[in-house]
Amino acid sequence: MIDNIIIDGLAFALPMFIMAIGGIYSEKSGITNLALEGLQGFGAFFGAFTAVLLMQQFGGSSQVPYYISFIAAALGGMLFSLVHVLLCIKFKANQVISGVVVNILAAALTSFLTKRLNESIFGKTSNKFVLGTSIRFSVPGISGIPVIGAFFRNVYPFEVIIIIIAVIMWYVMYKTPFGMHLRACGDNPHAADAAGIDVNRIRLISVIISGGLSAIAGMSYAYSITANFSPDIYLGFGYLSIAALIFGNWSILPTLEACLIFGFARSGGQALIQQLGMPSTYNDIVRIIPYVVTLLLLVFFSKHNNSPRALGEIYDKGKR
Amino acid sequence: MKKILIKLLGGEKLQMVRISLFSIIISLFVGAIIFIAMGKNPFSAYGNLLQGSGLLMKQKYAGRQNMFTDFMSFLDTLTPMIFAALAVAVALKAGLFNIGVSGMMLTAGFIATLTVGYSSLPAFLAKPLVLIIGAVSGALVGALIGWLKYRFNINEVVSSIMINYTLMYIFTFFINTFFLEPTSRQSIVIADEARLTLVNVKAFGLKFCIPLAFPLAIIVAILVRYLINRTTTGFEIQAVGLGKKAANYAGISISKNMMLAMIISGALAGLAGVTYFCGYNASIRPGVVPSMGFNAIAVALLGCCDPIGCIFASFLITAISNGSIYMSSQQGVEIEIADLITSVILIFAACSEFLRMYIEKISMEQNDKKDVKRV
Amino acid sequence: MDSEYIIEMKHITKRFPGLVANDDVSISIKKGEIYALLGENGAGKSTLMSVLFGMYEPDEGEIFIRGEKVNIVSPRHATKLGIGMVHQHFRLVSNYTVAENIILGAEPQDKLMGFIPHVNIKKANQDIAELSDKYGLKVNPTAVISDLNVSTQQRVEILKMLYRDAEILIFDEPTAVLTPQEIKFLLDIIRGLRDGGKTIIIITHKLEEIKSIADRCAILNRGKLIDVLNVPEASTEELARLMVGRDISFTSEKSEAKPGEVVLKVEGLTVCNEVGYEAVKDVSFEIHSGEIFALAGVSGNGQNELADAIAGLIKTKSGRIILNGKDLSSYSIRKRTEEGVAYIPEDRHNVGLVLGFDLKKNLSLKEYYRPKMSHNSRLDLKAMTENGERLIKDYDIRSSKGINTIVRTMSGGNQQKAIIARELELQTPLIIFMQPTRGLDIGAISNIHKQMIAERDRGAAVLLISLELDEVMDCADTIGVIFDGRINRIAKASELTIDEVGRFMMGVGNRGESA
Repeated sequence: MIDNIIIDGLAFALPMFIMAIGGIYSEKSGITNLALEGLQGFGAFFGAFTAVLLMQQFGGSSQVPYYISFIAAALGGMLFSLVHVLLCIKFKANQVISGVVVNILAAALTSFLTKRLNESIFGKTSNKFVLGTSIRFSVPGISGIPVIGAFFRNVYPFEVIIIIIAVIMWYVMYKTPFGMHLRACGDNPHAADAAGIDVNRIRLISVIISGGLSAIAGMSYAYSITANFSPDIYLGFGYLSIAALIFGNWSILPTLEACLIFGFARSGGQALIQQLGMPSTYNDIVRIIPYVVTLLLLVFFSKHNNSPRALGEIYDKGKR
Repeated sequence: MKKILIKLLGGEKLQMVRISLFSIIISLFVGAIIFIAMGKNPFSAYGNLLQGSGLLMKQKYAGRQNMFTDFMSFLDTLTPMIFAALAVAVALKAGLFNIGVSGMMLTAGFIATLTVGYSSLPAFLAKPLVLIIGAVSGALVGALIGWLKYRFNINEVVSSIMINYTLMYIFTFFINTFFLEPTSRQSIVIADEARLTLVNVKAFGLKFCIPLAFPLAIIVAILVRYLINRTTTGFEIQAVGLGKKAANYAGISISKNMMLAMIISGALAGLAGVTYFCGYNASIRPGVVPSMGFNAIAVALLGCCDPIGCIFASFLITAISNGSIYMSSQQGVEIEIADLITSVILIFAACSEFLRMYIEKISMEQNDKKDVKRV
Repeated sequence: MDSEYIIEMKHITKRFPGLVANDDVSISIKKGEIYALLGENGAGKSTLMSVLFGMYEPDEGEIFIRGEKVNIVSPRHATKLGIGMVHQHFRLVSNYTVAENIILGAEPQDKLMGFIPHVNIKKANQDIAELSDKYGLKVNPTAVISDLNVSTQQRVEILKMLYRDAEILIFDEPTAVLTPQEIKFLLDIIRGLRDGGKTIIIITHKLEEIKSIADRCAILNRGKLIDVLNVPEASTEELARLMVGRDISFTSEKSEAKPGEVVLKVEGLTVCNEVGYEAVKDVSFEIHSGEIFALAGVSGNGQNELADAIAGLIKTKSGRIILNGKDLSSYSIRKRTEEGVAYIPEDRHNVGLVLGFDLKKNLSLKEYYRPKMSHNSRLDLKAMTENGERLIKDYDIRSSKGINTIVRTMSGGNQQKAIIARELELQTPLIIFMQPTRGLDIGAISNIHKQMIAERDRGAAVLLISLELDEVMDCADTIGVIFDGRINRIAKASELTIDEVGRFMMGVGNRGESA
């Protein structure tokens, strides 16, 4: 049972984590990003479409479409994040409103395009791109160890991709000049500007990164939880990852902890309910945990809340 | 080009209204391009949208149906949207983003369903009770968000997200566990006595629905407008929304008014909830947050945050979504294109403030040029 | 070509709408000297330095750096030319360490495995520690900015310039926010920098400091260069006289004051500012009916906090505020207004007006809830309109659409008129004017002065807080001088000369006697 908790928990937590990193990039640069939900959805759409196209070319058993679909998803998410960029930076729209609008647009656009493409390219009427569940693998040797081995058993390949990217993103955020500039923009854009940093350019890149990372998360869910791309991808995971990054105080490592807590609470609760023979509907009670815990954390530790100081502020060079 | 823009959108008189109209027209133009790209005639497509909402005459009707029946169905979907947009607008007047409208709607719908919807109260008691319970339960959620804001300084957007999903999963649990209709995968349908829409009314040889709460929506919009513009309370809420420091300087309590605005907003969202879940629908679909709560944010924006503006904006957006089924069947295009056009409208609405500032800037530039010429 | 001067600014003119901030100003600064720019608020010192630092482009004039003509287009360009500036508002990232702030935008990098860029924070920490030691700045490179006090943050800003190899260091009123001990420390640092070969320009209006460290001093008044003096040869009195300038003076016609009963009595008032510093320290004074009590002082010596505390906008730490015998200290803002406090705040944009409201609503901001303008919490729009129309006429408030004008679109002068109209209409026994004429033209200024005097003659107690010495001298019946949160002199206006007041403002004068 513990093995399953670990395996399922990781499969859920890691995509959440990469999406939350995306959120951290955007928010640390000073752009509120409620659009994660829409970005992951659009990314998944773009990736799933690519995968379905390639599956025709390569045949069902090939793994090529799988990997390419993640690249495509990331590109799609980056592309779509430009809408948020455009609204927030160019048109100086309120970032909360922009996020909401981007989510609405993503849902509308992807369901429209899915139907349209299914009809015009594949000649069928469907609002889905069927992907199936991703293959899984186990690391020989280590996966045999009790409990710990579960971390290496039945692993989705995307989990490995996510870990690699997460390490890179952590490094970029905290160890490179770019990361330093980025975090400065979210705290005091005037200081960043005075240091010769182009604030809006940094913010643009950050939001694009958040688009790419969210998209990878969306694609992962499309290959695991939903096993297809359909409007059902908009389950609120984007908002959950926002809860995770708030829980993690806008830092990457604590956010990983938050995601793991969320993930294991989810899989653990599921397992427990199964064990106790309760109906599966009790799972919904478990799903409340992340939100309530985050809210309580904010209530009790609101003083320690380190949201980026300039978050949501439109940066106008002229204003001082 | 610039001169035309200034002519059209410059000046203060009803400027926001003109800018909203401008965004709508541009969006419809974009929509028209999509239709053309799909090889459809945009005029007939837009006509179909209106026909589907009972705003234009269709060529033929099925038995017991005509333009009037379509229009009544349209009003049925319009009612909750008006309430939801009002909820957002009131909060925005106090400078708050109510992203929690969805959660408030669910709460109101769920509690009213449970308490009145499954009771056997007679209609004359049940219907008012549904409204009251809806408003009160929505107001409670609003109060919670307002309290978290002023007591713990938790951003209302963040707390709303958490509360939305918390509530959604709680209600989903209860519905799935105790009140599920196995065939529809929704909650058990409420009693007709409690429903705010009279369905399948047969009269004049027609069969139609009567959204009883629609007049209420209009009255409430007028009342809200009165509250905002004509009362000391509205004065204070607006002052807080427009300038916190100045409001404080004038002796206006910021926390009290934020709280109040969230409670009013919650009550309105609650009314949206009951008119949606116990009116337009008679059951609740578990596991989803109603998207209307999010759409309402942009609708309120499109309506310039004015209650009457909200009615018109809701009217437009609902007409598009409600008419889309008919349009889709007539034109043979995907039904989702309506949502697409809607979201384009909302994107332009989000840019309206920028547009206003841009107009201000270019008209100042133009004035400068004139000055130079005079010199 | 080798020039004696490292900086030459020739015939600089910079205009803003309705204002000539710098009018044909020429200054030349030698390498390795401390050069002071002296002048009152609005004399054009900051503008001149902003031009040098590339923040503004001058309308006319030329700049030579090390003898070469340059056209400085941006602060970044200025940095490249070896010019650094410490602004009054620091530009620091609060959650970064000192070192991170200093290297921001100029990070020492190395490549991990030959290609992965990496910020070498260790090297930065070392370099900065060395630099800090060299100039005696006593800054710990690994401390986080938000944990540091203002004085240390300022030294971080200095290090930022030094780290970028700046040779010319500009300080914009560096001592305004410091305590006396910190000031002494800073001045020592500045001397050290000069001895280390740097050229220093310091903007200030504190004469003491200039006497203490500057080699030469340029005096500006209303945008014009008045004189350049060798500081060791000039007396403080001479500097003060030149700085204040006597050329422009708008004398209001004013009858003799007929002070009556005590209206406002402030006793031992101590107020902390936002960051917890005691901005007002044990201040006591009283104002009588029919008296204008003018509080003179240099910006940032506790005036804002004092005014806000009397009006109830911030809490007092200790002491009493007594109006007509009633202790207001625990009253809410609104209750104080009702008891009789009218307040014209300094920040007319954010505090005095709700910019998004129209004029009519702003004019009734303090009375909308009273029976005069509402019945059973229903606004009486007609009464509000009438009130607005009347005030517009009586106070000559001009706007494009009368009472329906959104005040954001109004000119500063008319905005101020609106605030004054609203506050004076309350007919309160006490009126606080905080910097009422800042940024206004001469006509508007003399109008406001007339109104103030009329209020006095009506029998109100007037508290005028101003940074403009002329205004104080012109309007006051009684003058108090505030320095570093304390009122160190109170006297009848007729008993003080402008030079004396100036000296007390600078904290010179007989400090020993201060309360």
